Amino acid sequence: MSEININFCPFDGYFLGDEDKCSFCGFDRIFAANKNWGSLTNSPTNKREPWRKLLWIKQDYPDNYVDSTFLEELEKNVNVRAYDYWAVLKESCVISQHISSIVIFIAVFIYLYLDMLSAQNLIISGTVFTIIGYIFWDKSISKTDPSYEYKRWKTAKGAVLFFATLLCLSPILKTLTKDTSSDTIWALTVILFLANMLFHDYGSENRTNIKFPGSLSTNAAIFSSVLLASRLPSNSHVFGLMSFAIEWFALFPIFRRYIKSLSVEFNIALTCLLFMLATVLFLNISKTIVILYILGITFITFVCPFWLIWIQKYKNEIHGPWDEARPKITTY
Amino acid sequence: MRYNIAMVSDFFYPNMGGVESHLYQLSQRLIQRGHKIIIITHSYGNRTGIRYLTNGLKVYYVPHMVIYSEATLPTIYGFFPIFRNIVKREKIDIVHGHQAFSSLCHEAILHSRTMGMKACFTDHSLFGFADASSILTNKLLKFTLSDIDHVICVSHTSKENTVLRAALNPQMVSVIPNAVVASQFKPDPGAQDPNFSKYFNTYIKVTIVVASRLVYRKGMDLLVAAIPRICQMHSKVKFIIGGDGPKRIDLEQMREKYLLHDRVELVGTLMQHEVRNLLTKGHIFLNTSLTEAFCIGIVEAACCGLLVVSTKVGGVPEVLPKHMIIFAKPEEDDLVNAVGRAIEMIRLKEVIPIKFHDEIKEMYSWVNVAERTEKVYDAIWKMRIPPLMERLRRYYGCGLWAGKIFCILIAIDYLIWRFLEWLFPEEDIEIAPAFPYQKYNKMCQMADKDDDD
Repeated sequence: MSEININFCPFDGYFLGDEDKCSFCGFDRIFAANKNWGSLTNSPTNKREPWRKLLWIKQDYPDNYVDSTFLEELEKNVNVRAYDYWAVLKESCVISQHISSIVIFIAVFIYLYLDMLSAQNLIISGTVFTIIGYIFWDKSISKTDPSYEYKRWKTAKGAVLFFATLLCLSPILKTLTKDTSSDTIWALTVILFLANMLFHDYGSENRTNIKFPGSLSTNAAIFSSVLLASRLPSNSHVFGLMSFAIEWFALFPIFRRYIKSLSVEFNIALTCLLFMLATVLFLNISKTIVILYILGITFITFVCPFWLIWIQKYKNEIHGPWDEARPKITTY
Repeated sequence: MRYNIAMVSDFFYPNMGGVESHLYQLSQRLIQRGHKIIIITHSYGNRTGIRYLTNGLKVYYVPHMVIYSEATLPTIYGFFPIFRNIVKREKIDIVHGHQAFSSLCHEAILHSRTMGMKACFTDHSLFGFADASSILTNKLLKFTLSDIDHVICVSHTSKENTVLRAALNPQMVSVIPNAVVASQFKPDPGAQDPNFSKYFNTYIKVTIVVASRLVYRKGMDLLVAAIPRICQMHSKVKFIIGGDGPKRIDLEQMREKYLLHDRVELVGTLMQHEVRNLLTKGHIFLNTSLTEAFCIGIVEAACCGLLVVSTKVGGVPEVLPKHMIIFAKPEEDDLVNAVGRAIEMIRLKEVIPIKFHDEIKEMYSWVNVAERTEKVYDAIWKMRIPPLMERLRRYYGCGLWAGKIFCILIAIDYLIWRFLEWLFPEEDIEIAPAFPYQKYNKMCQMADKDDDD
């Protein structure tokens, strides 16, 4: 390309001595001398083409150029939704329900251990409540899923077989951890119930197709029941506690989920019921624990929702084109 | 100005990938421009010590422990003595680290700054901000990049990402894309499957090529869902899929389920030189990645004259002009539509492979990349080296706890450096003779001439 000698700035006619840039309008002499003149004279107002966010074109901009469009596609807090205090409070019921159910279970064990509750009573009441619960469940499911009719017999057979096996295994379960000292058993139980509480599936709304909600959590609870069972005096006690544990930790959460889906009022009623049951049962055992329990539940139900809403203002989520896309697949 | 540059990364040949070829090609072009380049990487199996590659490119394979997919164990100081020795004997001016996953690169940048050298860093990938692993990597990146002269990113999207991740001044970050060796990706109209045409000889048959690692991040779930639908809608379409990975099983199952053995071919792992032969067999290149900083694959495909269909993610929209690429959302339906449009374009013969090749040759060349990288070196060469106090101040700003921890690490690094200076004085380090590139080049030319005669 032939080099053009520029003596005057083409935009304002300013004489260029030996400066590289026009001191009046900032016109770049060197740059212009090497540039295709046609385009420059055609659009004198547009000194440079606007920068484009493309890699395949050569642009008259340095590589570290920062355009005004920089970070234009940045999105902040797109997934954040504002919580309503009462809605969060209602949702917190699932947590207090679960904590109450653990407390009730421990109370039942203590009653058994101290011989304040006979094994027969526990077995009978457990069975009665399970059957009532099952009827409820059956009523609801046969409405949505007609094929369930055929499964009823299978369920009953399964239940009978399961509890029979449990009965046979009771002597083994009783002696399984007998040699372990009581202190170890209590400590382990506490840890396992904590694990049960932490890993419990609180969020799941699905009732019909349960992929065993938080199997880790259920396992922890059953394991701790086995540990506790070894402290009990007779085989019927062990069977009573173990069957109760299964009803309480494996079946009861399903029922609770069902209640929750049914109506908010029922859910709150159930929460209150469990709360009162736990308080009453523990009143005979320890007043301190009752106070701690009431404080804990109050904290979770009333303070934590407020805390969550307050802490929301510190939320800072960044999204942009660099995020890994979530593939949307329709068939399957 | 000619510089002595050390490229540092965990990823180099014999390992295969984008970073590896980037390092090699960039180093070759810089050598041709008169710079002295060495590459420092970790040892691969029994490949330890020093190796020479084409044009006297010297590679140091430093013995180091590998923890996960060729990335080394971060030891912070373990690499310092040998690194100091290497840069002293090679009289290095600038340390250039590559890839955020590479702890070797981070350590090299840290130590080079302690020794008062210039450092720059090239980021090749994108990170999110949500999951635990990226939060950790981002904090580490912030640590190393707190005190650096310049950062290079491969696309504008990658620049935005890096600026946010490491809290950098955007003026400090340059965008220099990757490039292709166009001569290695020439279209070959004769390579398209002749047998396939024989069976359906009504009108033009279309072959769709996929070449990537078969992993989730490359969008294999989308591909698995889209292939049966595309095959159902267009009876004269065939797929060839190159590459290997955990999602291969899903693809095979899909092939079994929809009885597509004659229309979906899985060719398995590809060597670098086999990629071109695969690409030239097709008309359309399909990329279903979920995240991508630059995506060299689509440039290679376009260079071979294929029409590209790609998900619109990361830096992909910046890479190719509109007439070479059809974008789809990362959704099954949209992908099927986009492939449909591409097939229509092929049938109407709107794609001229050799034109694509010529255009790409102009757009992406390593010579251009080297030129632009050289400008970065020129810029950082003029920069002042910050004193220790200033460095500490920069690291201190990294966070409430992190800032203090980083300051401690830097202070220890400084002490180790002083100790090494005392234990192995610089005078005792033997200087390595530079590879006589000019002479070598002249000899090569003479040898070529002899051959011609």
